[in-house]
Amino acid sequence: MNSKAKLLGAAALVALALPGSAIADTADKRIALSNNYAGNSWRQAMLESWSKVGGKAVADGVAAAADAFTTSENQATEQAAQIQNMILQGYDAIVVNAASPTALNGAIKEACDAGITVVSFDGIVTEPCAWRIAVDFKEMGRQQVEYLASRLPDGGNLLEIRGLAGVFVDDEIHAGIEQGVKEFPKFKIVGSVHGDWAQDVAQKAVAGILPSLPDLAGVVTQGGDGYGAAQAIKAAGRETPIIVMGNRQDEMKWWASARDENGYETLSLSIAPGVGTLAFWVAQQILDGAEVPKDLTVPFLKVTQDTLDETLASTPVGSVANVEYSLEDAKAVIAGAK
Amino acid sequence: MASSRLSLLLAILRRPWFWAFAASTIAFFATLTLSEGRGGGELLSAALTFASFSAIVGIGQMFVITLGPGNVDLSIPATMTLAGTLSLKFMDGQTALILPGLGNALAVGIAAGAFNYLLIRLLRIPPIIATLSASFLYQSLAIWWNRGLRIKPPEALADFATGSTGGIPNLTIIGILIAVVSWVLLERSIFGRWVSAFGQNTRAARLSGVPVEAVRAATYISSAVLASLTGYLLASFSGGAALNMGTEYLLISIAVVVIGGSSIAGGNSNVPGIWGGALLMFLVVSMLNSYGFGAGVRLIMTGAIIIAIVAAASGKGRSV
Repeated sequence: MNSKAKLLGAAALVALALPGSAIADTADKRIALSNNYAGNSWRQAMLESWSKVGGKAVADGVAAAADAFTTSENQATEQAAQIQNMILQGYDAIVVNAASPTALNGAIKEACDAGITVVSFDGIVTEPCAWRIAVDFKEMGRQQVEYLASRLPDGGNLLEIRGLAGVFVDDEIHAGIEQGVKEFPKFKIVGSVHGDWAQDVAQKAVAGILPSLPDLAGVVTQGGDGYGAAQAIKAAGRETPIIVMGNRQDEMKWWASARDENGYETLSLSIAPGVGTLAFWVAQQILDGAEVPKDLTVPFLKVTQDTLDETLASTPVGSVANVEYSLEDAKAVIAGAK
Repeated sequence: MASSRLSLLLAILRRPWFWAFAASTIAFFATLTLSEGRGGGELLSAALTFASFSAIVGIGQMFVITLGPGNVDLSIPATMTLAGTLSLKFMDGQTALILPGLGNALAVGIAAGAFNYLLIRLLRIPPIIATLSASFLYQSLAIWWNRGLRIKPPEALADFATGSTGGIPNLTIIGILIAVVSWVLLERSIFGRWVSAFGQNTRAARLSGVPVEAVRAATYISSAVLASLTGYLLASFSGGAALNMGTEYLLISIAVVVIGGSSIAGGNSNVPGIWGGALLMFLVVSMLNSYGFGAGVRLIMTGAIIIAIVAAASGKGRSV
């Protein structure tokens, strides 16, 4: 009886799955973006990339809709309600940048149960029925220390600028930096402040802690805080250490002018806001019947001394270095994860 | 002789602003002991600079809070962002447009303040809800206007905002001037009496001929104008406006009012205390950062220190 039921269940599943894999066309599929926050330049670039790539996909007849929705308060409860609305509106796939890795799981499960494909990225969710396009934030932190070790074999004192306290990304990058310091024990973190990924907050926090710090060899950051740190260090009349940057245009511009002035060298790394477009194509591929592993990793975008001018030229003034992903990129990422 | 000295001491202890300044001094020296006395000038200059932003928005918030229960301006962060965004985009880095840019920012403040007031007056929405919902409007307008792109301030303006005159940061000079003007307004002018009367008993104030609605409009507009001036200065200071630039000033603006000894129930304001509170908010965070406390401990201790100071200040006031 029991095994019979299982067999029936399996047959039903196959029956359900078959038509899905038989359709090789997503022209009538509607994809929605559920976004939790729009209040900084990174998120604005993300939304712009989404509307550019999604709009073109709709115009080309690859999808029927690629609508973006942003909650106003960056609250998980608000985003859960937003996702429930999307279920009612009958979207075929929901791409989500989540306010919380766990608090949306209920709403995500409801969407899955309604037969909707859910792809999370950047702010990923733990609900097993959803796909995850994660960034290896830990590696992002570790590589900063590794880079500093390559520049400063004798090590030295580091100032760490963290992001927003209590946010998953902040903990991950911080863990990576700690791991890097363990790997290269000649470095020592002598001070740590929270810059909330905002230049003015970072500037204020760094200005407050600097007077009590010894000489700095480097500053490890999380993105959106490097320019503020440079300003605070300059205001204190100190020599500029190696500040790892986070791909913001004002940071890269500052770096380029320091390079022209005195040969300043550093590294810049962050996630491209266009990762949303990768999530779009992954959702499209899943709707198209492609077999996609649940966990995908997106590489982060690095700017080095050699690529600085080129990246700076292609980044709009005041924005963030960006890459928009294509269908082929998505296929490559999927193939790489198998 | 001794008793008169004692009574002077008691009089100082009873000043609500005393505790904020005393705690700031302690935090300052506690930070300096870490560096064995080095960097004192550096820390003082940073504290004066960054406290200026909190002090200017705090003075605006104080005007509103003095109006009494329920009066608070939650649109300060969004007004700062909108004024910073609009004026920096308008100036577009050109030195000739610095003053028109300032006018632009102040106009945003006047418009935002008037709009807040009209929501409260015409639609009879409670101020908390009115200013909160208006702030969504201002924030959306800022996003729509420039999509979060950071435009550099004109170089001369950036130099002014980060520079100092006679060893005192220019921003601090502006902040102190605004504090002096506000003190004269509140303590020495009829307008100040009206604001206090409004906060102590609105009905009594109206019956005794205080133009209560004009007073309320003026306070909300002052708050928004000071917020927009801060947005303009902060954006010039930190190299451009950002969409999230005002976020931390919502709590700070209320905290400095409370720490500074103004009554949160209204009717009683304290201008020197605002500066004490603003310095304290910067120095406490710097001290805790310097001692290497994590974010959790830092937030708990900041909260505990605020409670302790408010308790100390109000306790002294009642006991005599």
